[in-house]
Amino acid sequence: MGVARTSTGITVSIARDPALVRTVRLIAAAVARRTSHDEEFVEEVRLAVGEACALMVGEDPEGQGPVTVRLAIGGRLKVDVVASGPVAVADSPDSDVDGVEPWALLRGLIDDLAVQREGDTTTLSMSWPVALTA
Amino acid sequence: MDLSLETRHEGGHTIIEVGGEIDVYTAPKLRDKITELVGNGEYNLVIDMEKVDFLDSTGLGVLVGGLKKVRAHDGSMRLICNQERLLKIFRITGLAKVFVIHSSQADALAEH
Repeated sequence: MGVARTSTGITVSIARDPALVRTVRLIAAAVARRTSHDEEFVEEVRLAVGEACALMVGEDPEGQGPVTVRLAIGGRLKVDVVASGPVAVADSPDSDVDGVEPWALLRGLIDDLAVQREGDTTTLSMSWPVALTA
Repeated sequence: MDLSLETRHEGGHTIIEVGGEIDVYTAPKLRDKITELVGNGEYNLVIDMEKVDFLDSTGLGVLVGGLKKVRAHDGSMRLICNQERLLKIFRITGLAKVFVIHSSQADALAEH
């Protein structure tokens, strides 16, 4: 796992190992806590980033590249989750309540959610308005 | 924090007290426990989530899968959850209408 600080945030790169998703959640919560003392907001960011990361890690992560998570604090708290390789960008039509509905949860959680594909790379972007705390 | 699972029997139900985080890494452990119990003929399950610190869609999937398993044997799965942050997840995904969610073990065991 590599970690790099930037002037406005932090970038984390993890192998596609489900065990590492929790680490990303902890970092996301810590970054969110820098912008707000509202624990409900912190929990929302933790859940959303964890969901996005788990989606990118996938259930069969073998042979895939890393997942990179960029968290930046500006006028908004912006999070990009980037991964190479195929990523399903919607729940399967027959998933219903019969299976996992991560995209339904993500879309329910976040107003500002975008998925972009460029070549072999998928970027999932989300952001929240913030009021910086001292 | 890992996932902890403690099982006991009361009033004809099997209660699984779950603690810690249910996520993409730990959810298989819960799935295996439910599968084991159903395989042993325990079809009336109560999942106590009061000590659950985190739940993601993978965990929801395991719960839904468990519900289907017990229903296939005319059994039941009741959840115990008072935590607003978890209840919110059930609401967002529409699963609050699928599961019977109780506020305490006493409530869960009292209802028939």
